[in-house]
Amino acid sequence: MPSPREGDFGHPKFAVVGHPNKGKSSIVSALALDDSVGISDTPGTTTKKRSFPLSVDGRVLYELFDTPGFQRARKVLAWLEKHHVSADKKHEVVQAFINKHKDDKRFNDEVELLEPIMDGAGIIYVVDGSKPYGEEYEAEMEILRWTGQPSMALINHIDESDYSEDWKRALGQYFKMVRTFNPMQTGMTQHMKILESMAQLKEEWIAPVKASMKLFEQYQDQMLERSASLLARLVYKSVSTVEKRTLKTEEASKKDKEKIEKKYKNRLRNLEVTTQKNIEEVWNHDHLKKEEKVLAFEGMDLFSEETASVFGLTRKELIITGATSGAVTGAGIDLLFAGHTLFLGGAIGALVGGTGAFFGFDELSEVKVLGQTLGKRYLEMGPMENRNFPYILLGRAIYHTVKVAKMSHAKREMFDINMDQTFKEKWLSDTLRKDLETYHKKFRSGKALEPRELREYEELIENVLTHLING
Amino acid sequence: MNLKSYVDLSELLKENPSTQGENRAFGLTHVLIKERPLEQLSVWTEAHKEKLKRPLLSDTFSSYLYGVTLTLVLIAFVLGLLSGIGLLSYNGKEPVNVIYFMAMVICLPLFTMLLTFVSMLRARSARSVLVHLSPAFWMEKMLALLPGKIQENIQAFKINPLLANWVIIKRSQMIALFFSLGLLMALLGGVVTKDIAFAWSTTLHITPETFHDFLRTVAFPWREFVPSAVPSMELIEQSHYFRLGDKLSEEMITHASQLGEWWRFLAFATVFYAIFLRSLMLLLSSFGLSRAVKQSCLTLDGSVRLLREINEPIISTHTKQTKIASASNDKGYGQIVSTLDASYDSIQGWAITEDELSVLSDSMKVIAPMHAEVGGLNTFEEDAEVLSKSHGEVLLFVKAWEPPTMDFIDYLEDLSIKVDKVIVMPVGTTENLYKATDKEIDVWENKLSLDEDEKVWLKRSSAKTPGREVRNAES
Repeated sequence: MPSPREGDFGHPKFAVVGHPNKGKSSIVSALALDDSVGISDTPGTTTKKRSFPLSVDGRVLYELFDTPGFQRARKVLAWLEKHHVSADKKHEVVQAFINKHKDDKRFNDEVELLEPIMDGAGIIYVVDGSKPYGEEYEAEMEILRWTGQPSMALINHIDESDYSEDWKRALGQYFKMVRTFNPMQTGMTQHMKILESMAQLKEEWIAPVKASMKLFEQYQDQMLERSASLLARLVYKSVSTVEKRTLKTEEASKKDKEKIEKKYKNRLRNLEVTTQKNIEEVWNHDHLKKEEKVLAFEGMDLFSEETASVFGLTRKELIITGATSGAVTGAGIDLLFAGHTLFLGGAIGALVGGTGAFFGFDELSEVKVLGQTLGKRYLEMGPMENRNFPYILLGRAIYHTVKVAKMSHAKREMFDINMDQTFKEKWLSDTLRKDLETYHKKFRSGKALEPRELREYEELIENVLTHLING
Repeated sequence: MNLKSYVDLSELLKENPSTQGENRAFGLTHVLIKERPLEQLSVWTEAHKEKLKRPLLSDTFSSYLYGVTLTLVLIAFVLGLLSGIGLLSYNGKEPVNVIYFMAMVICLPLFTMLLTFVSMLRARSARSVLVHLSPAFWMEKMLALLPGKIQENIQAFKINPLLANWVIIKRSQMIALFFSLGLLMALLGGVVTKDIAFAWSTTLHITPETFHDFLRTVAFPWREFVPSAVPSMELIEQSHYFRLGDKLSEEMITHASQLGEWWRFLAFATVFYAIFLRSLMLLLSSFGLSRAVKQSCLTLDGSVRLLREINEPIISTHTKQTKIASASNDKGYGQIVSTLDASYDSIQGWAITEDELSVLSDSMKVIAPMHAEVGGLNTFEEDAEVLSKSHGEVLLFVKAWEPPTMDFIDYLEDLSIKVDKVIVMPVGTTENLYKATDKEIDVWENKLSLDEDEKVWLKRSSAKTPGREVRNAES
């Protein structure tokens, strides 16, 4: 019978195995960046092995297997030990066990977990370092030793207690490598370290796994770029959007105005919610559980005063931003006339910008009655005139994106957005505020944007996200 | 990319006809255009156009635009023709004042071209101040004449303001050009079909010399090549006309045949100012429109995403297999004990050594004549020996944090056959003084409930339902 290694010409494979309920699925979920992996407190939730391939354009670079936990390890070991064979033949006995018990329901879980290993997968044996070591694990480790496949152990910490030293001593006797990995707090660095260890399991796997590591970095960049693009579009669309409503009467009543305002606000709220959903998809968190109130940021509506105070600029900041932006425009005129304007352009620009910001602090957008085209009259609201609004919207969107990006894929509890009053300081510097204002002004003007301009705005956001997510 | 492809692309992006995988496959099969996003969008649009509903909105839109443009162009041509005929109408008493015609073919085009320039510079604005001067207003009016559904489709289609402005600018130039052609046609027709006596007349004190200099300046583009199309000083002097008096001057009548010479100048002025320059403006607006189409395609909602999907490798970490949910029981276990008796026939520990069992028994204040370890490192023979010695009531300690495996369930089934009652007691770690958490006990309860055995009881520190305690007491 050929050894599993002889038939192994494909990409590296890794089977995540272990005792039931020790966090195998959490580890797979975190390593595969996939929150669709079912994770449950009930043991034996996983009954069939599932493959999680890392692929680029359909070409698989490596494959992870989530497997069921050992259920009758002692019985399997007893069966194996009945066959007295030399070490080089032990894997054949394991294969014989699989062949013999393929349809035996009693050993369904063992067959499921051993199959990928005998198919050439490296072993990642998962234990819970927050619980004491137990002798009952030895049967499992012994079975894995019989397979003859390269292996490593991962100590997962489900709770706070720490028995990892005991575990390391025991695991060291069975596994080439023992590493600690907390799938709930996984970041890019920790992820890369584990991949690095996985690569060391077999010489032939070093190159493909290293390539996978590079790819993960590229993937992270892709996700940052896509998020920045979505956020830039959200602000652009929200600020420039115009809500129209046909008027049946000559004059617009108060009710008409209220209706259009409601519709306008709802449209902006929907844009925000859709973008949040898209961001979650980009970061593979499309299974996030969220409560309705969380969607609205703990009940903080997009247009509430509380939101404005947490995410928006203060009146003073807004006036400074408006004045600076106006002064820059005015200075352009001064430059054009080689200073013959006695720098009045800059001064007037600053004054106009600052005054506009002062008066535009509270107002949203004027409701206008427009047009007699084709005999129809319209009520129109938008583009957004409130100068604070883009900062509020962007602040909320960045906050949400950072939360989603930093969340482990192994987490299954409610997505919690705790308001952080200092968040604005973390991302919005004075320089950035001035840079952003240039674009917000363009968005407000309703002018068609050049693709370049939107890209530049995206880049500003991407820099913020990179800084906040990657540190 | 042209206007039609823009509309098609816009419609396709709304329909989202292809998956990310298909878009990437498109990118991989069209590597030659990899760095050319516009070409990629164009080829992609062509490849997916068939998925759009018929009739294509782009066809409806362009035929509407064509129809409107053709109508307005014809109207403009006729207006130009009529204006020309009106301007050149000669009743035989008064000569035709060339200044009117010059105003129409030189001043008006130059002024409107200036306005066009301003419009071009402001093309990015959503609402151009000059839009009311443009034929767009009339284009919209004509929209009302179209059948209801087509009208709705066209009105529902939101075109980029930059593109809309350039469409209008280009159409304006076409209309103006045809108006000028009408004027030229009227001039040539008038010259051929009747003898027109041209003259110049103005209230301003302009000497023939000044007027001659002015005309030479106006004729600068052609004066070197066609000198005969520049009025001579003599002609200017002879054709100076004053309205006072009811007769033409003797000199004018004497040189009547020469007065017609003005037509060459007027024809060249029309060709150069009203037609040639306008054609240049039309060319410029075509260039602007084409640039606007390209820019609009790249800023279309969804085009950036599409280009990403075409150009970026698909990195996937997901599984295609769906998880099969295993059976679970949420109704709870029916046989719960809340307190332990003082003694049992035997105390056993699943993967718990005999020494640990002794400590545990002391801690729980229970005694038994027999303490035995089962599971763990035991062989099945050793377990069988313990089984054979088991009888009566057995207290079976288990590690609460280790979920029950089928190995345990197998042993429990064998044990329950042999004995009268088994109490499974999950215990916590030494660190936690053997106290198991509710969550841990829930896991055990859940497992036992899958295979309810009337001899098997679960010890919980606090019973979930009082009813179950009663059952325990009764037993």
